[in-house]
Amino acid sequence: MRDLFYDLVRRNGMAVCIYLMLAVSIWVFLLIILPQLTMLDYSFRFNLPPAKIGGPEDVYTLEQYRYFFQGSGASDGINTLDIGILFKTLLSAVFVTIFDLIICYPVAFVLAKSSTGAKARLLVLALIVPYWINEILRAFAFRILFGATGVINETGMGIGLWDTPIDFIREDVALYAGLAYAYILLMIFPLYNAIESLDRNQIEAARDMGANWWQVHAKVVIPYAKPGIASGMTMVFMLTSGALAAPQILGGPSNLWFTQLVYQWFNSGGNWPRGSAYAMVLLIVCIALVLLVMRLFKVSIGEIRQ
Amino acid sequence: MALTFSGVVSSMTKEISLEHVWVEFGEFTAVHKANLNIAGGEFFSFLGPSGCGKTTLLRCISGFQEPTRGKVRIGGEDMKGVGPNKRPTALIFQNLALFPLRSVADNIAFPLEVRGVDKKTRRKRADELLELIALPGQGDKKVSELSGGQKQRVAIARALAVEPDILLLDEPLSALDLKLRQHMRTELRAIQKQVGLTFIYITHDQGEALTMSDRIAVMNKGKIEQIGDGRSIYDHPTTSFVASFVGENNVLDGTVLSNDGKVMQIDAGMGTPFTVESHPAGGPALAPGDACHLFIRPEALRVSRDDSSVNQFETNFVTEEFEGNMRHIMMNTNGKDLKLSLINDGTNAIDANSPVKLDFAPELGIALKPGELASA
Amino acid sequence: MKMKSPTTMIPGLYLTLFFAYLFGPLIIMVITAFNSSTFPRVSPWECFTTDWFGKLASDDKLLAGLGNSLLIGVGVVCVAIPIGLAAAITLSQVGPKLRAALYTIFIAPILVPGVVIGLSTLIFWDRIGTLFNAPYESFFYDGTFLTIFGQVTFIAAYSMLVFLSRIQRFDTTLTEAALDMGATPTQAFVKVLLPFMAPAIGSATVLAFLASLENYNTTVFTIVSSSTFTTVLSSKVRYGLDPSISAVAVIIIAITLIGAIIYECRNRYNTKGWAHVIADRPVLKIATHPGTVAAILGVLTLAAVVFIQNHDSSACTAQVLEEKRALQQQLMEQQSLNTPEKTVPAPTMPNLGPLGGDEGGTSAPSPFGNNIFSPENLGTSAPAEN
Ligand SMILES: Nc1ncnc2c1ncn2[C@@H]1O[C@H](COP(=O)(O)OP(=O)(O)OP(=O)(O)O)[C@@H](O)[C@H]1O
Ligand SMILES: [Mg+2]
Repeated sequence: MRDLFYDLVRRNGMAVCIYLMLAVSIWVFLLIILPQLTMLDYSFRFNLPPAKIGGPEDVYTLEQYRYFFQGSGASDGINTLDIGILFKTLLSAVFVTIFDLIICYPVAFVLAKSSTGAKARLLVLALIVPYWINEILRAFAFRILFGATGVINETGMGIGLWDTPIDFIREDVALYAGLAYAYILLMIFPLYNAIESLDRNQIEAARDMGANWWQVHAKVVIPYAKPGIASGMTMVFMLTSGALAAPQILGGPSNLWFTQLVYQWFNSGGNWPRGSAYAMVLLIVCIALVLLVMRLFKVSIGEIRQ
Repeated sequence: MALTFSGVVSSMTKEISLEHVWVEFGEFTAVHKANLNIAGGEFFSFLGPSGCGKTTLLRCISGFQEPTRGKVRIGGEDMKGVGPNKRPTALIFQNLALFPLRSVADNIAFPLEVRGVDKKTRRKRADELLELIALPGQGDKKVSELSGGQKQRVAIARALAVEPDILLLDEPLSALDLKLRQHMRTELRAIQKQVGLTFIYITHDQGEALTMSDRIAVMNKGKIEQIGDGRSIYDHPTTSFVASFVGENNVLDGTVLSNDGKVMQIDAGMGTPFTVESHPAGGPALAPGDACHLFIRPEALRVSRDDSSVNQFETNFVTEEFEGNMRHIMMNTNGKDLKLSLINDGTNAIDANSPVKLDFAPELGIALKPGELASA
Repeated sequence: MKMKSPTTMIPGLYLTLFFAYLFGPLIIMVITAFNSSTFPRVSPWECFTTDWFGKLASDDKLLAGLGNSLLIGVGVVCVAIPIGLAAAITLSQVGPKLRAALYTIFIAPILVPGVVIGLSTLIFWDRIGTLFNAPYESFFYDGTFLTIFGQVTFIAAYSMLVFLSRIQRFDTTLTEAALDMGATPTQAFVKVLLPFMAPAIGSATVLAFLASLENYNTTVFTIVSSSTFTTVLSSKVRYGLDPSISAVAVIIIAITLIGAIIYECRNRYNTKGWAHVIADRPVLKIATHPGTVAAILGVLTLAAVVFIQNHDSSACTAQVLEEKRALQQQLMEQQSLNTPEKTVPAPTMPNLGPLGGDEGGTSAPSPFGNNIFSPENLGTSAPAEN
């Protein structure tokens, strides 16, 4: 630590070194670590009115987590509702992630390997432009699209595929489409970066040795792009399972996303410790899932780039 | 020359000395007990193959690298703990390290800028230096608009603007093409004469080292093998490595038969024993029975006029490389290849079909303790 | 021309479909902003109108939110950029082991759900505020400050990634050269490294500002009782679908497109090939200068604004209203005729005419009657509850 400090001073001078250390410590401690620890601490407490905080009743408890698992009922009951929502959220997020991977892989491949110069730049710009538009508005667009008199229903009925409007909102179709749409970019770019750095000759060599297009992808491109695939999937999964805007706007009335539970405990419920506990549950389950998948794919977190 | 260098006077007195300098990177020893003195105003070169520690040694002098052990003194002062910005040295980097976002003049004036010199003086000084490097009026160009040789000269001007006592150059010509390299050699030497600074010059090109330097240190694997002027390095190498690295050399394995301090008899498996001069100055003396390397330069070999010459032996023609003014002929004796370089004087003394007799003068054969040879 | 084989057309076809997915929803949303129907929809088309934009201009809540958002955006840029820069520089200077550890910490805020960041920020500063017995007006409880802190947590990571990709191309011998020529380490930093980082600082600033402007997940927690553009928009959307939201989208899309066009023009203008083309064609040189392009787009925007302000669709909307009233009348009569029958027979639909429709206010029973999202509920301007 001392050596590190001296090295930084030697290389940057005292003033710059102080700036570096100060900025990084403020970020790491004040913005990242301490808030998370406080939240962790909160999740082990009772929901007390401000007056009682610090008083004799302010002790550590597992009550908030117990509630998540067992609900308000008897001590051996199971909180199927909330656990079910968590599972549904995670499952849907996995589904959305895989869907994004499937639709983005060909695009990333075509972009990286078949387009050059101005055309590629234009395509990339076209990919980015929709993402400068507010997340809320993107969800709103899907609301219009999938509404009872939306374009999809009108077209479907117009060409006679179905004859009464389908309630896409209730069926969660709008939600999945909107979520998949929301994070496409975060899937495409890691894939694109990974595939782009693959030497064209490798693909041609594989072709030359008699591999068909399917084998080229399965044996050459996908193994090479694995870190990109992993980081794209991680990003999309984490953001989808942590999404709040799209479920609020596109979710069916009886179908909640897990983040909405956190939101409810916090706002309408006014129960911060329980909200914290639910947030911790979400965070831990998501990270565990991501680490597990990364272990399976044998990639490290250091390879995650945007 | 209108330029005056305040550094000139003092540079004469600022000699550099390295005392037992070691540099280690973890387990790896990059510089191995370097000892040397460089006088003020000298043009001193380090010559050695890639990775032998030249840059590391230079970084010790300029202050980017603290020696693991040993001392660097400049003008008698110990430089330990003195940062690169406080030393009277200026380094020209292997890749030049010109600032790409600054104009040529701003690059040259950078050392003045960081010393708080005002803008007008800076500009004036930059113009003077541009004059010196024969790029007058080009100060407003971008660095990227210059040719390789011009960049080279701007880097030199920028280093001179520091008014250093010692200019350190790390393979500054390696990126240039052959013609320009030869041109810049003369130019560098001229600039050095003109400003009278100490130049410490790094190269792995022996032609460069031999033509420009007052003295040369030949390095191998972190060790300084020999220090001397070009002539002594070429004519009287003291280690097998120097003999094989500098210039071309035929090397024969031999055994010392006798050594009387003036001449040695050596059996090199070429029939009659060879007689060569002893070089008592050149490292440890060889005693009878010792194994040795016998070096004979291709140009030292000659076709025998008669049968009575000393050091005569028989060879067979293998092949010839014709170079115009020179003819390089590969010969073979008892399975050993020998190269022979002859001036093309229009005659053809070599008969490809029958044995040829060669010989060499005793003072041109060099017998040294066997050691590592430079790989071809 | 060569006939294209079906297999070579597949990538093109796929890309077309993909971009249709990307742009389709946006295009439809844009169209709905100009339909006078009170529910955002493309068909049936009622009247071309620009009234929804007018409605925006008088939406005080949205404007106040926008003001807050801009303030927060500036605050976030001012804090996140120095932090991201420091983090990238630190990463580039430490040994490989520490670098891997630091990188994991630095990248974590991008992966942690925004909800969690927002929540933990809120709790943490609340705790600190309580610790210092700070009054409720102090910044520990102020939505603007909290939102800046919360957003900086992950936006600093975004900007760090931008800086990192630039700093990896930095030639460290430049710093050494500066030191060698007598610069102090601080001077070398200011005169060599910072100018090199300047373009990345520019793009990170834009990125950070936009990310801040559009953030919802974190902000919705940290903003407390205040509001931002995004949170106002979100509550508008949840409160009831309204074409004025489409109008917001039109404005944002227009700004984005203008930005993208100018950016692309600047890129093309600065290419070597184009410099060659315009070298001796001064007219073309001026015409394609990004400044000129920006000016033309500016004039077009101004024209659009003037058009929006002056366009009057009241005649058309009045007519549509009239038609609707007539239709309603007709339906009511029909209903009173056959009261026992609940459903309107489908064949009556076609004779409603191109501008007609089962628009809100009709008492026609819906085929999916009790759906709270059906336009019937919304069209009557009764807010839909989520
Ligand atoms: N910072 C370092 N850490 C570890 N090893 C190093 C470091 N710097 C140099 N080395 C090693 O020290 C040895 C000498 O390096 P140096 O750069 O001095 O070689 P050089 O003689 O200048 O070679 P070249 O002619 O290729 O420039 C090399 O083997 C190199 O790998
Ligand atoms: Mg070197």
